Amino acid sequence: MTVNAEAFDHSLHHEPSKAERLPVLRGREQTRPFSADVDVVVIGSGAGGAVVARELARDGRSVLVLEEGGHYSPQEYGALPPSQSFRRLAREAGMSVALGVGDTPLISLLAGKCVGGSSVLTGAVCFRIPNEVLHTWSGELGLSRMTPDGVDSYFEEVEDICHVETVPHHMRSRASELFAEGAASLGVEMKSMRRNTSGCRGAARCNFGCPNGAKMSVDVSFLPDAVRHGASIVSDALVQKIDITGGKARGVRGRFLDGVTGEPGIPFEVRAKVVVVACGSMHTPVLLRKSGLDSVHIGRHLTLHPAVRIGALFDEAVDGWDGALQSVYSDHYWKEGIWLNGVYSAVNVLAAAFPGIGHEHRRLVKNSPNLAFFGGMVHDDGGGQVRRWLSREPLVTYKMIRRDKERLLKTIQILGKMAFGAGAREVLLPIFGMGTIKKPKELDFLSENKIAAPRIECMAFHPLGSAKMSTARETGVVKPTGETWDVENLFVIDGSILPTSIGVNSQLPIMGVSMMLARGLVDDFAKHARKALA
Amino acid sequence: MVPLVTKDFLRTTLRPRHRPIVRALAEALFSPAGEATPERLDAFVDEVDQFISPASKTLRFGLVVMLGVLRWSPLFFGKFRLFDDMTVDERIAHLERLDRSKVKQLPLIVVAYKTVMTMLFYEDQQELAGLGYPGHARKRYLKVAS
Repeated sequence: MTVNAEAFDHSLHHEPSKAERLPVLRGREQTRPFSADVDVVVIGSGAGGAVVARELARDGRSVLVLEEGGHYSPQEYGALPPSQSFRRLAREAGMSVALGVGDTPLISLLAGKCVGGSSVLTGAVCFRIPNEVLHTWSGELGLSRMTPDGVDSYFEEVEDICHVETVPHHMRSRASELFAEGAASLGVEMKSMRRNTSGCRGAARCNFGCPNGAKMSVDVSFLPDAVRHGASIVSDALVQKIDITGGKARGVRGRFLDGVTGEPGIPFEVRAKVVVVACGSMHTPVLLRKSGLDSVHIGRHLTLHPAVRIGALFDEAVDGWDGALQSVYSDHYWKEGIWLNGVYSAVNVLAAAFPGIGHEHRRLVKNSPNLAFFGGMVHDDGGGQVRRWLSREPLVTYKMIRRDKERLLKTIQILGKMAFGAGAREVLLPIFGMGTIKKPKELDFLSENKIAAPRIECMAFHPLGSAKMSTARETGVVKPTGETWDVENLFVIDGSILPTSIGVNSQLPIMGVSMMLARGLVDDFAKHARKALA
Repeated sequence: MVPLVTKDFLRTTLRPRHRPIVRALAEALFSPAGEATPERLDAFVDEVDQFISPASKTLRFGLVVMLGVLRWSPLFFGKFRLFDDMTVDERIAHLERLDRSKVKQLPLIVVAYKTVMTMLFYEDQQELAGLGYPGHARKRYLKVAS
């Protein structure tokens, strides 16, 4: 690897007094143009990019990771209050949305924008891709390697690296226990989740960055190992274009984001034999389009797993903040496209969704210790689209099909019944302008499907599929190897390539698929390097 | 608190004309009976500005437009007053009306600002302590696994 030495010599050495700090060159503090010549440049440092960077660095390749977001150590982000965490670690300060088209809710989207990407902001929940989904991919879609036998070894390896463990019963919060009790009242079994944690202290604020450094997000698992094997990481580095000549990717160009304004400033250029795009489902399509790729599938087929949560007010003190943020789940309604997850969050963030204005809202806020939250999400059918727009952030639209709206309403109804089944005296439904309800019968209106979808408070954490993998150029953006159909030596390895919704939390699936594709890239690297020189 | 090593972005979004609207909204949401001091409400406007300012130009533009619509929205309901000129009780009643409106964009104005402002307002340590939130203290992880 050759780089503009001055910039790196000062910034990329380990500080003995802060051994835990990942050595990252902070683009926002750069004052001069920067250039580098490497084997592989990886754009994005989240669940996809970090895995690729580690695998290629371990194979002895020179690897440079470019991350648009800032860099904060676990000690730094663990000490941030939730709002500051959103402000510094999340895209749009946590205010990203997918605009609903037709009878569709406005869907709030949480995505990371920091070294470590969304893995820093997940609830640490880890599920493998369900076998039914893999059968669809390998059968109907012809992706022959995507079978349970084909991917299991990669999942095992990823789970070992990021320490996936089952949440012990004693770490269930009282809110999760009540969720399980409510589910049992409907004859539904709640199972213990698996999460990538080590030494969890049940602070219940994983989605703002673990305050105890216990969540094994990629910034504390994959990226440090990549760096140990020679990879370099640059933060605040906005890649604006992939250099493509002669049908091959040759590198990238961009600008560092200014330390005060946040706007693009000092330019940088990286030449590389292989370019890996791992910007996530909302930004990978934007970069591909800006770089001249024109497949009609770029930006289409976005799936979100639209999710809802309800609040349940109990007579007893629940203190839901004491215990693992998420610890139980149910696949009981899997065949109906519904997945139930125990949820919690910071009190002030939960309070934001309480119904009422003024006195009524304050009444509910004051009852926060007695509130539990139950959540669920829908296995959806890709109705989303990502487009370039007026600013650096894309325009994301989503059209929910009638079946998925019915699933969403049914999820709310099931969760409401579980809340009453657990003994809740009031239930807070995720429907704008609606007060609390006090009887199970008041949930009946949900089965009539008469409520307009825009009135539903909806969120999503798993955008997938906007640059999907396919076995033919006409049906997708990347080949089964992750290389784009249109440009040689240009790979996409992140959640955007998953060809359908998966119905479960996406962190581990992205890591597992990325590991599989990264290994393929390692095996074929010499071939790609020869093509780059041709 | 661990000191942050890196620089922070410092841009702002709210202009002087926007600040009274945000303050009036905060008063209606969190101080219906005068619970928050005027100084707290003034400082809170700065907190809102700081929070929304890292967002993209388009999102910030949208948020500013929403404030303009909120300011003039009483006219949609036949009230010839600006939102920030209403009494606190009138503002609460007006926000409830917007929240229930069948015009789908109107509830979103309330929801967008209520979400951001509630998160910020109740992040205050005194407010949290008043709710019984124990800060960093946790007990469950100390239990021995059965």
